[in-house]
Amino acid sequence: MSHLQPWKIFRAAGVVLAASALALAGCSAPAAQQKAPASTAGGKDYSDALLTLPREDMGTFTRNFNPFSPNAAPMTQQAIYEPLLIFSPTDGKTTPWLATQWTVGPDGKSVEYTVRPGVKWSDGEALSAEDVVYTFELQKKLLGSYDYVDKVAASGDKVTFTLSKAYSPALFELGQQIIIPKHIWSEINDPAKATNEKPVGSGPYTEVTRFAAQAFELRKNPNYWQPDKQKIAGIKVLAFSGNDGANLAAVNGDVDWADQFMPNIQKTFVAKDTAHRQYWFPPTGSMINWQLNTTKAPFNDPVVRKALSMAVNRDQVTKIGMAGYTAPADCTGLSGSYEKWKNASIRDACDWTKLNAEKANQLLDEAGYAKGADGKRRLKDGKPFEFKFSVGATSSDWLSVANVIAQNMEAIGVTVKVDSPDWAQVVAGYEQGDFDSGIVWSPNDPGPYKYFAATMGTKSVKPVGTKTFDNYHRFGDPRADALLDRFAATSDEAAQADIVNQLQQLFNEDAPVIPLFPGPEWGAFNDVRFTGWPTEQNPYASLSARSPRTVLILTTLEPRKG
Amino acid sequence: MRFILRRIGFYLIAFWVSITLNFLLPRFMPGDPISRMLSRSQDKMTAEQVLQLQRLFGLDNRPLLQQYTSYVADVLTGNMGVSISRFPTPVSEVIASQIGWTLLLGATSLLLAALIGNLLGIVAAWRRGSLVDSALPPLLIFIGSFPYFWLAMGALYVFGIMLGWFPLRHAYDSELDPGFTWAFISNVGYHLVLPALTIVLVSIGGWMLGMRNTMIATNSEDYITMAEAKGLKPRRIMLRYAARNAMLPSVTSFGMGIGFVVGGALLTETVFAYPGVGYQLLTSVQGLDYPLMQGLFLIITSAVLLANLLVDIVYVRLDPRVRTN
Repeated sequence: MSHLQPWKIFRAAGVVLAASALALAGCSAPAAQQKAPASTAGGKDYSDALLTLPREDMGTFTRNFNPFSPNAAPMTQQAIYEPLLIFSPTDGKTTPWLATQWTVGPDGKSVEYTVRPGVKWSDGEALSAEDVVYTFELQKKLLGSYDYVDKVAASGDKVTFTLSKAYSPALFELGQQIIIPKHIWSEINDPAKATNEKPVGSGPYTEVTRFAAQAFELRKNPNYWQPDKQKIAGIKVLAFSGNDGANLAAVNGDVDWADQFMPNIQKTFVAKDTAHRQYWFPPTGSMINWQLNTTKAPFNDPVVRKALSMAVNRDQVTKIGMAGYTAPADCTGLSGSYEKWKNASIRDACDWTKLNAEKANQLLDEAGYAKGADGKRRLKDGKPFEFKFSVGATSSDWLSVANVIAQNMEAIGVTVKVDSPDWAQVVAGYEQGDFDSGIVWSPNDPGPYKYFAATMGTKSVKPVGTKTFDNYHRFGDPRADALLDRFAATSDEAAQADIVNQLQQLFNEDAPVIPLFPGPEWGAFNDVRFTGWPTEQNPYASLSARSPRTVLILTTLEPRKG
Repeated sequence: MRFILRRIGFYLIAFWVSITLNFLLPRFMPGDPISRMLSRSQDKMTAEQVLQLQRLFGLDNRPLLQQYTSYVADVLTGNMGVSISRFPTPVSEVIASQIGWTLLLGATSLLLAALIGNLLGIVAAWRRGSLVDSALPPLLIFIGSFPYFWLAMGALYVFGIMLGWFPLRHAYDSELDPGFTWAFISNVGYHLVLPALTIVLVSIGGWMLGMRNTMIATNSEDYITMAEAKGLKPRRIMLRYAARNAMLPSVTSFGMGIGFVVGGALLTETVFAYPGVGYQLLTSVQGLDYPLMQGLFLIITSAVLLANLLVDIVYVRLDPRVRTN
């Protein structure tokens, strides 16, 4: 045998490797991508296509369709189970869903829903008021929710909730609870730990036809109560480990819907196919506030809070920090979800949420926080006027916002240091009251009750050192309590509107938090295969795939038929 | 034999220390799992729900020592508990569902990188001053110095998007059903090419350089000159005399590498959306999911220790000098 030189060995090895790679590629290429074509779709029928969307925060899916679980698979509460009514903040409309009508008792201590007749579960059993009663009983037993509900009773097709106190927001809170079938769940041994692998629901897409670790499919509910609204063949959810993979899928046209944050969306996503791709970020997310720890001086002085607010250049914050995806807040403190509640006169006469560095300087001078020779202010006890601004490191947009604000504060001689550890550490600081200031979200319920209760109500104030999960800035005004109690006691719309006006006046006076901008609800779509998406011109819902409104989109979309 | 028993004893102590650290370290992190869930879902979770979840998960508030003793008992019986971030799936199920993919990706990349890197190192040392020796080590180290995620994203962009030769995500096409069919296996292989290729590219330089350097030292030994003088074929000397002795450090590195394969390749999984335990580990640490974190760390430490023990045993077989000590 002749001498085989070493280089011949690994040349041979290289050839083998290359050949096997090509062979594998050739063998499976036919089975590969079922991409949605990125170009215009003239002439193709998508009636059998599945609505494809990504989920970027899960990495892999576990077959858990238990609606009580915080880790249930995507679309559990949107496509498989449904609520009694649906409120959409984008247009302010309430759509009857599993309930056809509802009434609130004259004393505000009872709510009665009429369950829709003729609705069936996906296994063929009829949906009745008993299922509603069972749902609330189980929810209360497992998770202890709705502590203001004394009793739930069914009579015919009506469900009556008796409340322990007058609480008008209950109408929406109870109404948006998803309903589960009694005949299935009463048989389950440990409902909290059940994985509900073959779910039985009343929603439009309940049949799990394929479930793999990174993709699963839901197909039509054979007994759905709105069969004419089940126009798409089904839903397919893909798993990704982070925004980048999901954004790539969206940009490449492999998914029809994307509700995660996409940087520079116009250039990276829309520009590839402007005829079919759109994005819409309505300001109906929760209001994002700069909260100051009101238990620490000088933040307990409303003049200081307003002065700091006046130094914030909200135009810069929204254009640079949030890439222009949202607009500055006004001094009603309310986000875009509460547009119809806003007091127009307060909103128009706003002064402390508009940039005015001179006035801010003046206010701080008058309040006794004089500037030293170096141009930096001092507190009343002589210490320098500097404090920390907490924000979680992973929120790159809010981190930019923090940096913009720190720069803005230099104009009034206040030093702000941006502190950006892990979010868990930031929230731990908030919960204990161990922070100077920071950026924070707020409640975003159908009505503004919770928002004002969490920013100004004394009931939500816990002392420093006691863990709390809202009202981190620990501010309470007894006048707000009186108004909030009155709001809860009445369901007359005119009375409620008047009370909310007064609450906004109080907010304008107290400035408990500094409102920055309403958080946008991310959402973008590609209508090559499906049409009927909500847009700014047709705002029946937002483009989020994880909200109570998502089922409105699922029952409105239809496939293109060429 | 005594040598092996001594090593086993050492590894048992190392195991005990590592499970204790595994227990203590996560608990030094500030916060608790529910607050972390709250900070991630922000306006989607209300204050009342936080209390509800605490009830649901039945989080442990016993004193630390009690928690530790039941933890050790659980480790020894193999009970890893129920995951918090993937409640109510048991930890063993969460890990078992993904570890196969991690092992496939990790083992394939490690084997390829080690094999090719070592072969190249052997050839480079044998033919010193040739093109292989002068150009390849610096080139491969240069490629390997790029940040891994940059290399991975670049490869994805060039081969996946621009040229369209390879798929962009996941371990297999979602239309296929898993099974031992040729269609499925070839599809898995097709999806494996890019992720494995990027890992191999990043690590191959190290293997080549290490092997080359050891080989050069070995080549200067007297017995090599003796073998050449005796007239043995160069290839035989290169492989069966020089390489056999030079590969001992490589065996150690390979053993360590096997252990760390189970830690998952986090960046690969993120860029290529490949399933695996790396991303699970990240989310469990971020979410302070103690049971899942402990389960994964336990598996990693056990794998590393086991791999080291195996390497020690293999070493005894390979290197007679260890036996006689």
